[in-house]
Amino acid sequence: MKKNQPFQVFRHSLFILFLSLFTVGSLYAQNTPYVIKGVVTDGRTSQPIPGVTIKISNKVIETSSNSNGSFEMRANVPAGKYELTFNFLGYTQKTASVELGSQNAITLNVTLSEDLVRLNEIVVTGTSVATSRKTLGNAIATVGAKDFANSNANSIDQALSGKISGAQITQNSGNPAGGISVRLRGTSTVVGAADPLYIIDGVIINNSSTELLDLGGYAQNRLVDINPADIESMEIIKGAAAAAIYGSRASNGVVQIFTKKGKEGKPAYSFSSTFKMSEVRKTLETNTYPFRFTNTVATDLSQVPVQRYDFQDDIFRTAAGTENNISVSGGGNGTQYFVSANYLFNQGIIDKSDFSRVGARARVDQRLNDWLKISAGMNYVLSSSHEIPNGGLNEAYGALTGFIFSNNFVNPAADPVTGVYPSTSAAAAQRTNPLEAINRFQFQQRTSRFIGNFQATATPVKGLSINYVLGYDNSNQIGTGYIPVGNTTPSYNAGYSRRADKTSFLLNNDLNVSYQTKLADWLESTTGIGGTAQSEKIFQSGITATQLGLIGQTTNNGVAIPSEFRSDINVMGAFIQQTFGIKEKIYLTGAARYDISSVFGESNRGQFYPKVSASYILSNEKFWSGQLSNVLSSVKLRASYGQAGNLTAIGAYDRYSSYIPVNSAGLPSVYSPILLGNAGIKPERQEEIEIGTDLSLFKGRLGVEFSYYKKEVKDLLLLANLTPSTGYSSQYINVGTMTNKGFELLVRGVPVLTDKVKWDVVATYSKNKNVVDNIPGGILTFPGGFGQVAAVNGYPLGTFHSTYFARNPDGSLLLTAGGLPQTEKVGRTGGQPSGAALRKVIGDPNPDWIGSLINEVTVGKFSFRAQLDGSFGGDVFNFTKRVGDRDLYGGLKGYEAELKGEVPKGYSAATFAIFENWIEDGSFVKMRELSVSYTFKPKFLKSGNMRLNLAGRNLFSIDNYSGYDPEVNAAGQSSAVRGFDFVEVPIPRQIILGFNVNF
Amino acid sequence: MKNIYKIKAGLLLCVMLIANSCKMDTVNLNAPTEADVLTTRAGIIGLSVGLRQYYSTNGIAASYFYPAVTGRELQGVATFTNVLELEAGGTQFPTANGSVLTLWANMQKLMSMSEDIIANAGNVSTLTGGTLSGIIAHAKLYKAIALGTLATSFEQSNIKTDRNGKATFVPRQAVLAEAIRLLNEAITELNVTPVSADFNTNVAGANFNLKDVIYAFNARYNLMAGNNTAAITNATAVNLSSKNQFGYSSVSVNPLWNTSAILKYYVPRAGFGLPASLFEAGDQREAFYITTTGSGSTATRTLKGFAAEQLGFVPVYLPDEMKLIRAEAILRSNGPLTDALNLINEVRTQTTGDIFGVNAGLPAYSGAVTKEALLVEVYRQRAAELYLTGQRVEDSRRFERPGPPTNTTERNRNFYPYPDQERIANPNTPADPAI
Repeated sequence: MKKNQPFQVFRHSLFILFLSLFTVGSLYAQNTPYVIKGVVTDGRTSQPIPGVTIKISNKVIETSSNSNGSFEMRANVPAGKYELTFNFLGYTQKTASVELGSQNAITLNVTLSEDLVRLNEIVVTGTSVATSRKTLGNAIATVGAKDFANSNANSIDQALSGKISGAQITQNSGNPAGGISVRLRGTSTVVGAADPLYIIDGVIINNSSTELLDLGGYAQNRLVDINPADIESMEIIKGAAAAAIYGSRASNGVVQIFTKKGKEGKPAYSFSSTFKMSEVRKTLETNTYPFRFTNTVATDLSQVPVQRYDFQDDIFRTAAGTENNISVSGGGNGTQYFVSANYLFNQGIIDKSDFSRVGARARVDQRLNDWLKISAGMNYVLSSSHEIPNGGLNEAYGALTGFIFSNNFVNPAADPVTGVYPSTSAAAAQRTNPLEAINRFQFQQRTSRFIGNFQATATPVKGLSINYVLGYDNSNQIGTGYIPVGNTTPSYNAGYSRRADKTSFLLNNDLNVSYQTKLADWLESTTGIGGTAQSEKIFQSGITATQLGLIGQTTNNGVAIPSEFRSDINVMGAFIQQTFGIKEKIYLTGAARYDISSVFGESNRGQFYPKVSASYILSNEKFWSGQLSNVLSSVKLRASYGQAGNLTAIGAYDRYSSYIPVNSAGLPSVYSPILLGNAGIKPERQEEIEIGTDLSLFKGRLGVEFSYYKKEVKDLLLLANLTPSTGYSSQYINVGTMTNKGFELLVRGVPVLTDKVKWDVVATYSKNKNVVDNIPGGILTFPGGFGQVAAVNGYPLGTFHSTYFARNPDGSLLLTAGGLPQTEKVGRTGGQPSGAALRKVIGDPNPDWIGSLINEVTVGKFSFRAQLDGSFGGDVFNFTKRVGDRDLYGGLKGYEAELKGEVPKGYSAATFAIFENWIEDGSFVKMRELSVSYTFKPKFLKSGNMRLNLAGRNLFSIDNYSGYDPEVNAAGQSSAVRGFDFVEVPIPRQIILGFNVNF
Repeated sequence: MKNIYKIKAGLLLCVMLIANSCKMDTVNLNAPTEADVLTTRAGIIGLSVGLRQYYSTNGIAASYFYPAVTGRELQGVATFTNVLELEAGGTQFPTANGSVLTLWANMQKLMSMSEDIIANAGNVSTLTGGTLSGIIAHAKLYKAIALGTLATSFEQSNIKTDRNGKATFVPRQAVLAEAIRLLNEAITELNVTPVSADFNTNVAGANFNLKDVIYAFNARYNLMAGNNTAAITNATAVNLSSKNQFGYSSVSVNPLWNTSAILKYYVPRAGFGLPASLFEAGDQREAFYITTTGSGSTATRTLKGFAAEQLGFVPVYLPDEMKLIRAEAILRSNGPLTDALNLINEVRTQTTGDIFGVNAGLPAYSGAVTKEALLVEVYRQRAAELYLTGQRVEDSRRFERPGPPTNTTERNRNFYPYPDQERIANPNTPADPAI
């Protein structure tokens, strides 16, 4: 092939594309268009259904029903037989045939029946064309806007909590934009982010949790920029068996999100406003004993009187917030538009912390002719927050950090005359006065983000559909931190200023083509091919200045140390997927994807991911009739197998030994890094087998979705510790294995269903067992858990691995001569432990099972909803109590026993070293959402309706955990370190009052 | 069928867009790779400077501080596990201690970088003559320092790194012998091909006379190895007016300052941590090295001296160490007591003029002039003069000071156990010392 040939073709095709975009419409004009009119009603209530999408088969012509349920479709098509599909989330799709002949006006009234158990939903994720769930060989979860309309969640991931099976959704911090971790069918990576791939309207979006500032471990995840009110629906696929066609980025699962789009007709307005109140659900019991020991000498029990304070009174507050959303949508003549704006402001329960989000979104869908349409969407968001550092994995300037390390007999208030805050902690372990952290420190984050997409869909011939998506997600994050000169921090008495920026450019081009045809009466075929090119460029920099001058907050006021990192990752991939449908009973799918990525070396760059699946709709067999089909109306068996990778587990350049350049007293120099390169590194690969069944019982009143899965991650990437005598400390290697085995169950039932009353129940149950193996040396500890959290061969990821009690053969504690408990050691000398301390697995943060129960009762205009989320059998490492109970700090109730003489002096110092003592059961049941709403048509609205809401989030928790909240995690969105409670902000209790008007 | 044609063309367009937007070989702009460093002239020169940069920051941040806690020069006050364990020492000192791992790993890294230079510098055709000889000798110096530092804290160590993680160990006498061999080789090479101006400008920089530094470290390690004659020879060869020091910048700060003023894990003990009988009141070096506020049991001490400023220099070695090395080697080889006494008094009575400002300001020695008594005096002078230079534990052992397990007042360990991270994957790791 000659080199210039492609270029000529390229120019030619470019010309034709433009031509087709702008002129084709007129070329295909027909004679008088057909007008199809009708009304869509609900089969149960006989009420009109607004918003139903009506499409004509194999054309891009579509319309939707208005608020009276009526629709009018103008179709400029040749005469012939056509099929109209009627689609609305929550209803079974209906197809009606129309014969377009000499009559130009056709009336077609349709009733839709509710898909109460949602087994007939149409989904697109992981498939080449929109497909009924019935035909899929894998489980797929769907969540519609209605499901979280009253949840008052700040972000999409928060809204998902408890709504689907097989997902563990954890809010890691109670800050108003606290980060959230989503684990679909367990954790599938150790070094990479374990959250799923999020795609919004075809755009792969950035959900990183960058810590531009050290806020103690907490970080926002960038999904917080997306307004849940803009979301129409979500589809979630949980593992490789379903996600294989997403290839290298799909091993943690895929969440595909569809935003609201306009519907043809008069402008429809929607406005909602809420007022939120948040407060801390539970504070820690503090030490109120009015004496302290004079000194630390074990034999000297003398005490001096002190006054004790509960610092928490000054740290937590009742916080207020508000959220407003407005949207306008409509369209006509082939144009549909949707524009919305939102403003969210929410104070944190830690004094002086808050989060605000202002955003605007627009989406336009334009039909160019009967086979081609384009759509463009844009979303701009500005997220800002005032932060108060807490936690404290690396830095010690946090507020709650200061609280837990304080001697609570020191009055934390600033000197009334000088305004200087006293140090509240012992000199040997100085921490920040928490009130000073709140009142004097300035930590802020701001993110400016633009997400846009362009899509073109063409259906040029029957059965053929071509879709092109250009998506980009550009964001700029800025973090600033300031600690003024002269303060109580241990390290920054001379002041601290930091500014860090991260600019991310994400771009994806996707072209998908599908062809659907009937090869024979009994044999349907769907073929999909697609290609993608993705690029992710990141520019990150940070400046930290210390030894500041007075008052100025910027980094130029001190001795500044800059840092910078630029990263460039490119991925290209292509897939082919083929489905055969046999006699509308058996569906077989095979798919293959090939990816190449710049993250890996030449020899491991190309990766192949296969997938096969089958589903068998047993209830479509002839013999399935009579009594059997009355009880079990639908039965589907499914099985699938697939592979997917995790491309982004390591950074763009982690395969190299990247020497560290530094100017050494005027001379340029480099020195060798801690991380040894590995040219042969390759992406970890997940292999999943999934089998399951979907059942619909009692005429669609009860639905059951059950899946069993086994996911195996091979070539697990680990940041392995190297033997130091190599000259290096660590290296990324493909060495471990990890499995997740489990099952998930979702039951949807409608116990009561009359024309006035509807009672929906949804229950989910998910059980997952994670095991890590083949770690070099058998154990790998993680820095995010102070070295007490590890991957240990044969145990789940992130077990607590540390010291434990020395015990007598009968199990009782083996005490020291002084009567104190002690850690187990390698040997015994004179009956007492001797030698080095031993460590073992002392706890596991992974729950045995998680579940949720949602009850929703609609009685006329009232709707009541309650959602309980539960997690059972997971442990929490209560580092907070470990510190607060210790003599040196002694601010918590646990230290009182020692002061009162109930245990020997020195007891708390002894147990401080025995980590087993600080593992607690983190099982909980939380009242996640509780709401009542009243929907009515006020007189001032001619059409449309209004809804009043009163809701609560996290109103109570049933648990035996002694700390703030068993759910939070000081290590933020870390994949490996979970359940690590170290003065992280608890998730607040929220009361929300709001209204919503649609007209 | 026109549609089909247009669609095909459109598809092609999309494919072209995709193909043009993706490059698979992205260049890391953030840092040079191994190939950039080890196969180019600039890379080898940069890595040579990097040796000094690494040792003068990460190196001494470990080797000056952690053994200083063990040798009671400093008291660990932070409540971090690593610090608590160092402070406690003893037979139950954990093999997982992070500080010992850092000390071990940093010296291994210094060794590996030195070896990379020794192995690769000769292959770079543009490095020749006095530049090449200087670079090789300079790398041998740092490898020797890595070995000597390991021999100070560990009974055995490897004498070369192994990328496969299976390095073999030899006793510390052999480790010291290897360090001395490298230094002797370096001296010989420099005698044959003296360093070039290019080397002095681009590698050594100001305040670093390679040959003097090599002689000084050779004297130190020969003394540790018991080669008294060689110790004297090398110590005598050092030009005492040659001021060799490490410099710092805001991106590469003085580690003594950072550890004492920022991290604040450790504080100095009273009287250099010496038993009361060995500390001499009025020694001006105490006020040079330590700021003391208050007195008695409520006194608080912070490091001063070379730890006072973020950008303050740190001596590579102190010239008076050479005098004390000579004095000790004379005494140990049963040389003339008066020669030793004179050297001791030169250190004791110095009131001004020390190039680094370390002046004792003490009266001349007035105790018994015996070998034993003078050796004790050398120890006392070394403890004060060479405060916080990573030598106390070694001195304490060599002078047979009271030691563990019977007595932990002057040091709480004789040697450290080997770090877990070495033992887990390297089957050649020897048994840990009992204490």
